[in-house]
Amino acid sequence: MAMTDFVIITRSMRARRFSTLLTALSVSVAVALLLTLLMMKDAGRAAFERGSGNVHMIVGRDGTPLQSLLNSVYYAGIPRNPIRWAEFEKIRDAHAPEVPMPPGIQPGFAVPIQLGDSFQGLPVVATTEAFFTRFEPVAGRPFEFAAGEKFKENFQAVLGSRAARDTGLRVGDKFNVTHGSGMNGHVHDEFEFTVVGVLKDTGSAHDRAIFTNLTSSWLLHALDRLEREHGHDHGHEGHEHGPDGECLHGPEISEADLTDADRLITGVLLRTPTREGRDASAAMATVFTALRSDTSLTVAQPSQEINRLFAIVGAVDKILIAMASVVLAGSAVSILLAMYGSMDLRRRQVAILRVLGCSKGRIFSLVLTEAAIIGVIGSVVGIVLAFAAGPLIALVMRRQLGLFIDPVLPPDLTLLTMVGVIVLAALAGLLPAVMAYRTPVANNLKPLG
Amino acid sequence: MTTPSTPPALEITDLKFSYQPGQAWTVNVSSLTIAAGEQMLLTGGSGSGKSTLLQLIAGLLEPTRGRVLVAGESVFDAAGASRDKLRGRRLGMIFQTFNLLQGFTALENVMASLAFAGTPPKDQRPRAAEALASLGLSDINRPVEAMSVGQQQRVAVARAVVTNPALVLADEPTASLDPENAAAAMTLIQQSCKARGAALLCVSHDPAMADRFALRRSISSLADH
Repeated sequence: MAMTDFVIITRSMRARRFSTLLTALSVSVAVALLLTLLMMKDAGRAAFERGSGNVHMIVGRDGTPLQSLLNSVYYAGIPRNPIRWAEFEKIRDAHAPEVPMPPGIQPGFAVPIQLGDSFQGLPVVATTEAFFTRFEPVAGRPFEFAAGEKFKENFQAVLGSRAARDTGLRVGDKFNVTHGSGMNGHVHDEFEFTVVGVLKDTGSAHDRAIFTNLTSSWLLHALDRLEREHGHDHGHEGHEHGPDGECLHGPEISEADLTDADRLITGVLLRTPTREGRDASAAMATVFTALRSDTSLTVAQPSQEINRLFAIVGAVDKILIAMASVVLAGSAVSILLAMYGSMDLRRRQVAILRVLGCSKGRIFSLVLTEAAIIGVIGSVVGIVLAFAAGPLIALVMRRQLGLFIDPVLPPDLTLLTMVGVIVLAALAGLLPAVMAYRTPVANNLKPLG
Repeated sequence: MTTPSTPPALEITDLKFSYQPGQAWTVNVSSLTIAAGEQMLLTGGSGSGKSTLLQLIAGLLEPTRGRVLVAGESVFDAAGASRDKLRGRRLGMIFQTFNLLQGFTALENVMASLAFAGTPPKDQRPRAAEALASLGLSDINRPVEAMSVGQQQRVAVARAVVTNPALVLADEPTASLDPENAAAAMTLIQQSCKARGAALLCVSHDPAMADRFALRRSISSLADH
């Protein structure tokens, strides 16, 4: 190999290998951080968009449409204001009637959900079988069962994949639900639920939920109502009690005891009928306007609400990216400091090169190129680190949060980051390059010490 | 071999230099000529301007006035990169502490000299290896900082003469060596220059050097008074 500028630079870096390695490492960590954040920003949004699937609208009685979305799809909280069953039927019949559709029209659906109970802190969602047959948590990908099947009778339950993992419950196991979302609420110990199915992963919030049928939930809460009304656990006459007064029978309540006050839901997952191959936005707009005529209802269009949410969360993204950029700028400063700190050694080398016939301009270019090469090494290693970190973070998020993310480094953004880092590194090398350019030769050839 | 038409290796006329305007001349040489292939010892005490004169000849300092020709080429008529090229092609320099490039191997140190002298890339490696071999160095791919002082000295000499310069400037090349090693080093330098046809201007304050040179000057004797 001939003695090219590249060889001179690499030998110069070898002479200061420890400082060069540390500097390149600081650049690579900054690049990896920036790229990982950029990667997670988009992947996070994509993950959030999972869950609402093929739903066009979510109808609730929450404070805001965003709250309805967060409560009904992400189970972020328990809605306080219920919707009566009759209201649900009216919505269903008006906007997603269960009647045969003309050719070319895809039927819609209206799936009722009721939130309010939990098990070991996991949300219990009371719904109908249509939740599994019509609603798709990710559009085009309906629910699939890892074990068992959907509930068919009262007091049967289906577990989301993560709920099954977290609780350790399997098909055939029994459990009691708790009133409210906390761990310390009143346990509905009058009725036991039996697990009849476990869902496969969907990468959405549904994975950490437990699903029961609506009637079961209504019966539980009707019993609570009866107890409150009669000041007694339930009718004790005409049945046997144990030595400690405990009842020796199941709770005496049936669907016949349910009143309109019991038949409550907290949200509706609504999909309007659509013409095949047509954009549904026009039909959705009509339905949206019609539903909004009842001002007590909140109507959320998931895509719009997610946009709204990310407009808020986006500010946090920007802060994180700004922080990563500051780290990147810091690494550029570290290049500057490392090169500045090695100027004593470098001055002698510059003087020797000048004696051998190297021009000042070439010295300037050698130092600048060295800084840029540190930028190249740092950005390449940083990209590799980000590539490695992406799947690792995806795995952790899937295991810990049940979020499916698909971290992808967009090539254009990666290239832009790389070019930016190299330019930044070269800029950081500017001052040392000027200093090297101006190095007085005679003074720096004298014996040391 | 030189011919009658070969210009002198060094020709200095009325060279004046001071570090600060208005101060006494640090270098004051009315005339000095070294013919091609000649070897001259320049003596003088510390601070007499010997090393500064070498810097001026190499074009690393700007004179207040005067003219320096190396192999017939005017050092100060060339500016910037042209002067640097002239230095790379026509001059070799040897220092007391060798001033080798750290992080480079012996071979790379010598190749660097060839590269800046404009030697074609394909010729650099064989010529550098040959120069080092002629000075008895075989382990040429070791970093210079891992070599003994004697080996480093040989690398420094090889680097100075490998370009077949017209003139080699040696600045106190034996100042840090004991008499025995100093003599050996001087023999190496003088023989290498002779073998390459390069003139040698050696500055030293060591009286023991005098016997080795037919041409001797005291720097104070060069001044016009």
